[in-house]
This record gives sequence, C-alpha cells and structure tokens, in this order.
Amino acid sequence: MSPLDTATGPELTRRQGGITTSAWVLLTRRAFLDARIRTIVFVYVFALYAYIQPRGYRSAYPTASQRQAFADSFETNRGLRLLFGLPHHLASVSGYTAWRVGGVLAIAAAGYGLVAAVRATRAEEDSGRLETVLAGPVSKRTVGTAALAAIGIGIALLWVAEFAGLVLGGLPAGGAAYLALATVSVIPVCAGIGVLAAQLAPDHRTASLLGGVLIAVLFLLRVLADSLNGLGWLRWVTPLGWAEQLRPFAGAQPVVLLAPALATLLLLALAARLAATRDIGTGVLSSHDTADARTRLLHSTTAQAVREQQGVLIAWAMSVGVFLFILGTVAKSISPADISKSLDKDLAKLGSGAITSPTGYLAFIFIFVAVAVCAFVCGQVGAAGQEEAEGRLETLLALPVGRRRWLAGRLGLAAVAATALALTAGLLAWAGASTGSAHVSLPHLLEAGANTLPVTILFLGIATLAYATVPRIGQVISYGLLAVAFLWQIVGSLLAAPQWLLDVTPFAHVAAVPTEPFRAVAAIVMVVIGAALMLAALVWFDERDLAHD
Amino acid sequence: MVWRMGTAIRTHGLSKRYGATLALDSLDLEIEQGEVYGYLGPNGSGKTTTIRLLLGLHRPSAGRAELFGVDAWRDRVAAHRRVAYVSAEPFLWPSLTAGETLDFLGKLRASTSGVPSIQSPRVDLAYRDRLIEQFELDERKKVRALSKGNRQKVQLVAALATRAELLVLDEPTSGLDPLMEMVFRECVQEAKARGQTVFLSSHILSEVEALCDRVGILRDGRLVEQGTLAELRHLSAQTVDVTFSGPLPELAPLQGVHATRTGPQTLRFELAGSAGPLIDALAGHQVATIRSRETSLEEIFLHQYDTSPEHVPS
Ligand SMILES: Nc1ncnc2c1ncn2[C@@H]1O[C@H](COP(=O)(O)OP(=O)(O)O)[C@@H](O)[C@H]1O
Ligand SMILES: [Mg+2]
Repeated sequence: MSPLDTATGPELTRRQGGITTSAWVLLTRRAFLDARIRTIVFVYVFALYAYIQPRGYRSAYPTASQRQAFADSFETNRGLRLLFGLPHHLASVSGYTAWRVGGVLAIAAAGYGLVAAVRATRAEEDSGRLETVLAGPVSKRTVGTAALAAIGIGIALLWVAEFAGLVLGGLPAGGAAYLALATVSVIPVCAGIGVLAAQLAPDHRTASLLGGVLIAVLFLLRVLADSLNGLGWLRWVTPLGWAEQLRPFAGAQPVVLLAPALATLLLLALAARLAATRDIGTGVLSSHDTADARTRLLHSTTAQAVREQQGVLIAWAMSVGVFLFILGTVAKSISPADISKSLDKDLAKLGSGAITSPTGYLAFIFIFVAVAVCAFVCGQVGAAGQEEAEGRLETLLALPVGRRRWLAGRLGLAAVAATALALTAGLLAWAGASTGSAHVSLPHLLEAGANTLPVTILFLGIATLAYATVPRIGQVISYGLLAVAFLWQIVGSLLAAPQWLLDVTPFAHVAAVPTEPFRAVAAIVMVVIGAALMLAALVWFDERDLAHD
Repeated sequence: MVWRMGTAIRTHGLSKRYGATLALDSLDLEIEQGEVYGYLGPNGSGKTTTIRLLLGLHRPSAGRAELFGVDAWRDRVAAHRRVAYVSAEPFLWPSLTAGETLDFLGKLRASTSGVPSIQSPRVDLAYRDRLIEQFELDERKKVRALSKGNRQKVQLVAALATRAELLVLDEPTSGLDPLMEMVFRECVQEAKARGQTVFLSSHILSEVEALCDRVGILRDGRLVEQGTLAELRHLSAQTVDVTFSGPLPELAPLQGVHATRTGPQTLRFELAGSAGPLIDALAGHQVATIRSRETSLEEIFLHQYDTSPEHVPS
C-alpha cells in the first residue's frame, strides 16, 4: 500500500472493493480516465511528430553544404515563423528539430492545457456530477487539486512522448529532455488560463471560448514577435514566447522556466480565490440569473442553435478577422521580395508553396485559415453532440421533432457559418494588406477564403459521420484526423514520401490560392465525399439509440 | 377535446438489451385511452428503458411498441404529436429563462405539426399561465439558476400545458416538495377527468396508489404483476398484526402463513388463504390485540421484492 492509500482523515477515506483508497486518489484517477482518449491522441501525435522531424531532415538534407544552404535561406524567411517560430542553427539536426518541433507542438500543447483544464473542472461541474461528489465528505479543494493532478499526469505523459520521439529520432537525450520540457511548459500556463476562465464564465462552453480567444491572442503576439523587427520583446508576454526563450539547442536558458512557473501559480491562486467566492455551476461573470423573455430565434431547433452558438460564432469571426487583418498589414514586410527562385523547391518540401510576395505569403496563411475553419466545423458538430450527451436532445426528440431534420439543421448552420468565417478571413486579409499598402485584390483574397470551403465540407462530413456512429468519441476522432492530416501535409513532403502517400491528406489538394489557380476537380471531389459522408451520417443517426451519459 | 376510445399504448414482446444487460424482457402492455397507468419498479428495473422505447429514443432489440397504433420507432414524429413527456432528469438549456424554455418547447410542438389538426396538441396558453401560477414558477429565472425541483416544474408545465392525449411521465415528482407534489396530483387528476391517458413511472407507492387505475410492477426488466389495485390486493396476502402481552410464542411453521417480527411484542402474519389455521395456532397464547387490514400497495410491492423470506426488521 502506498502512503496515499493509508491516508486518513474525515474526508479522505472511502471503501471500495475492500481497499481503502483516499478520495483524492479516486478523484484524480477518475479525472485522468475521463481525459484518456484525448491524452492518448496527443501522446501519439507528440511522439510521432518529434520522431519524424530529425529523421526527415537527415534524409532530405544529407550533406553539410545542403544544410548550410537551407539554413541560409530559411533563417531569414519570416513567413514560416508564423507556425514554427524563431529559428536558430538550422544547419544542425538539433537546431532544425527544435525549430520545427518546438513551435508546432507548443501550439498543440496550449490547446491541450486549455481543454484539459476546462473539461476537468468546469465541464465536470456543469454536468452535475460534482454536486454529487461534494454532497459527500469531500471538499472543493480536494476536487480541485485532484483535477490539477490529473492534468499533471497528462503533462508528464506528453513530455515522455516528445522526449522518446526525439531520442528515437537520434537527438541527444539531455537536449531532447530540455526541448520537450520547453514544449510542455506551455501546458500549465494554458491550464491555468482554462481554470481561471472556468471561474469567470457562466458555463464550460463559454469558459472554453474565453480561454480559446485568449490563447489565440497569445499566439498572435508570438507570431508578431517572431515576424517583425522591433517587436521581439513581445515574446516575453506570452507562454509560447517563453517556450522559445528557453532556447532549446541554442544556448539553453533554463532560468526562463520561472516565467511559466510564476504565471501558473499566479493564475491558479487567482482562480482559487475566485472559486471560493462563487457558487457551484455559476461564474463570477455570470450574466444575470433573471431576464425578460427574448422570444427571438426560438421557433425551431436550428434557430435556437443559432442563438446558443452566437457567442462562439462571434468569437471565431473576431479571432480569425483580427489575425488576418494583422497578418495582412505585415504581409509586405514579412515576404522578402529578393528571395531566390531556387528556394521554391525547398519551400515545397515544407509543404508551403512560395512565400516570396505578399500575395504568396497570404496564400500560405490561408492554409491555416483552412485548418481553422475545419476545426470550427468539427467544433460545431461537437456542440451538436453535446446536446445529446447532456440529455437535451432527448427533450427535443420526445417532441414531434425529426432526428434528421434536427441534425441537418445543425449541419446547415455549420456550413453557413463556415462560409461566413472564410469570407471574413478574405475580407480582413484584404483590408489589412491594403492598410499595409500591399497590392492584393479583394476578389483574389475572397477566392482564397472560399477555397478553404471544399476541404471544410469534407471535414464536416467526417466529423458528422464520426459523431453519428461513435458519439462518445466522435469529437476526438474528427479533431485527431484533422491534426494528422495537417501534420502530414507539413511533414510528408520533407520525408520524400511517394506522391500517392502525400496525396492522402486532403490538404495536399487545397491549392495555394491566389498564387496557384483554384483546383476545381479536387474541390468537387472533396465536396461530394463530404456530402456523401453527411448523408450516411444522417441515415445512421436515424437508426441508433440516443446516447446519454 | 374529442373523446376517442382505443388503445393509447401497446407493446408486444418489447425487449431491450444493453450489452450483457437485459434491461427489458419481452414486455406486453396494453393501455387504453383515458387510463392512468402506474408503472412501478425499483431503480434499475427498466422503467426508463421502457419509456425510451415507447418514445423511439432507443431502438427495441426485439418486439415493437405502438402509440395510438403508430409504430413508436418507425414513425416517431407522428407518434409524438399526441404525446408529451417528462423525463426523470430535467435536461434543459441553461441560458434560457424558464419562460423562454416554455415558449421554445411550445413553438416546436406547433411548428412541426404542420397543418393544424386535431392530432397535434397545441399549447393551451391560458392553462399554461394557470400552471405557472400553481407551480409557483418564476418565468424570468434562467434555467441555470433553477434548482433541480424547479427545472422539473418547467418540464411538467411544458408537458401538461400541451393537453396531449398521452402524458408519459418518468418519475416526475423527484425533486418536488410535498406541496408541489400535491399540485402535481391535482393536475394528473384533472388530466384524467379530461380523458387524457397517463403513463406514470414511479417508485413512490402512495403517488401511484392515489392516482392510478391500473398498476404494473416491473422487476429486473420483467412485468411481474399487473392489474387494478383491487386485483393486486386480492392476489396478495391478507395481513394480520398481532400484539402479545406476554413473551413472543414459538409458533410451528404453518402452511400458507408467513410470519415477520415487526416489534418487540408484535408479529405480522401474511396469509395466502384462510385465517383459520392461524387463529387455531394463536389459541392459548397471550394475545393482546389482533388487527387485520387490506394490504397496502407498499406491501404488495415489498412482497414482490422481498427475496429473503426470513427477513426480520430489527
Ligand atoms: N444506455 C444504457 N446502456 C447500458 N445499460 C443501460 C442503459 N440504460 C439503462 N441501462 C441498464 O438497464 C437497466 C434498467 O435501467 P433503467 O431503465 O434506467 O431503470 P429504472 O428507470 O427503472 O431505474 C439498468 O440495469 C441499467 O443499468
Ligand atoms: Mg429511471
């Protein structure tokens, strides 16, 4: 028996299967198990991605001179810093790996931390399960620290995954351990943001949204710090910047770890403060508990979904809009006009097309817009799934409301909102570029926005079918496939994989509009497959049991 | 209100299996229009499962269910036009107020029923306002700020206000205080007087005893007993409580008599047949009082579930 197992005290013991286990351990285990599928997906992605990068670099650039040529051209390319961050020592395997792995996985880690925190704290609370737990002899504090401990286990697992991937990829163990540490240092800070948002927001969905917008801002700050001269100091105000300032494989500065540590403590202390003052199931910023009736948008399930999703739609439109506007304004200064043509081939190996003009840079950015809009529709299907998981769909479907009609309405909403989002991206990229006096035409950028929609329809189909067939893990599947498809797009070409294998990811068929012409055939194929998947999902959904928790 | 005689609920061999659990085993039910049917069973006996099958929320593993002659799984939407449902747990939208929720649920009923027809119950607004008053519901409160009992009231008002021909109620009074429970009982009696059919799943025996014409008792997914209260009473034993003035006697086991100690000086006898042998056996013992009465539903119910016949309450 471990010391924890024998812990005593009024609130700690509970008998289970003859063994006395502390409530804290039980709660931690429960919180960890609730998150296990998500954690497993992240573990695989972290390990694989960390393993592939050093391997790919060695095979794509076998000689020292090739590596030097690569480094010379890329260390000055600001466009790619959007995703990967600031490069150091690109002529070495470790420097290259730190750049490629650190930046991308830190963004993933930020998302993981936020979702893990909101799920383990506020979503659990909103489900009503927490009330049952707290009705017993267990304090709020025990529940809170157990949730954090479960996230801690997740962090440890992700660290091990990245470390193992890097070492298997041929990196020295010490440096690999430090690089992995730099990546996961983002998680506790973002978890802290999540826990804080969970105290503020009226419910867990709003908490995710609030945290998501905040993390998008932190990402934008990191992008600006890395891409623009004179803004490097901005790196100090974002956890994604701290991960860079730790400088793995580039003159490590472990003292910077103090920044995420202090920020986490501060956020958690603040959250604990707020948690003590609020009631279960409400937020500090909860809007009023009473209101006059607003009968607008209550005439159908779809209308009511619009009403429920309003905040999400506005937050997405604003985040995407601000992002594109700012990147539009800096497009001209980021894209080096004097870049050599021979670089095109190298850029292609990064799966990113030419970034040699403002238009090219914006075309490159719209790949991310495509991923974002795909993630948005996956989230919309997830929100529909929440209605079912939390029992409200049963309330609806016991009325004379058809199942297919309900789901089709949600899909229609997702598609229309995605279209609005994509066009907003185009419009604001144009507005930004015009402000920054780069000459890019509005129709071209609207086309770039619209070009993201076929792949979005495909992912809407995938997400819907996953939800219809395996409602409990549908969201993990759709987000997981999206992540894999995108990562394959950015690493596949580097690995010199055969063309058919590269073509597996749908993103390989999204042209870099406006630099490249729109690929109509690929677009039609994706839309047709997406629509077919949605139809299959509607049929399946009509035939299965509703899923409750 | 159009009075139409016929069957409101009919199931035939209705079964549901969840993995290894047989939650409902070959249920045959027939509930006439205008009946108030009590569906009794302890937790996990399959009451909610039955209702989910009746409402086409889950798919039967075998057998079929019909509401007003319409297949509950195939033609859900048509079946639901004549049904209102109250679930055991109130699942509503936290951001809507109670009033908005009632409005939303009412509009969904009206808009999906297409052409106004006698088959699609519309919300009776005047009645709804009366219900809101009776249940003391604060319409302006957001659902997230309501207690479970108050959310349950929102569901009840929404369902009752439709004046649907069939009310399917799954443990509807869980979370209601005794006062509100009385209001609920009045509403069900009113519905019955109006000719509505009520399917009331419950484990509160007094509620079922007070409201229902017929009762079905479910155990481990099987309907083990069914009938009017009078029929069920007849089926089960007569109860005789005997208080002794001296020490409790050692009685030899008697055919058809089941004895339970209910107090330091009292024994309860449940008789399957005539009281003769018991009277004979008691002769010569120091009996203070003998009280015999009709079996309550609770006793019928406990009798069904009492798996240990030697069980003696302390
Ligand atoms: N969705 C489900 N999946 C698996 N088992 C279920 C499900 N729903 C109910 N059960 C099981 O079926 C049995 C009957 O449950 P239920 O109908 O909810 O009982 P009651 O409503 O009478 O309390 C229980 O053993 C329960 O665990
Ligand atoms: Mg039940």
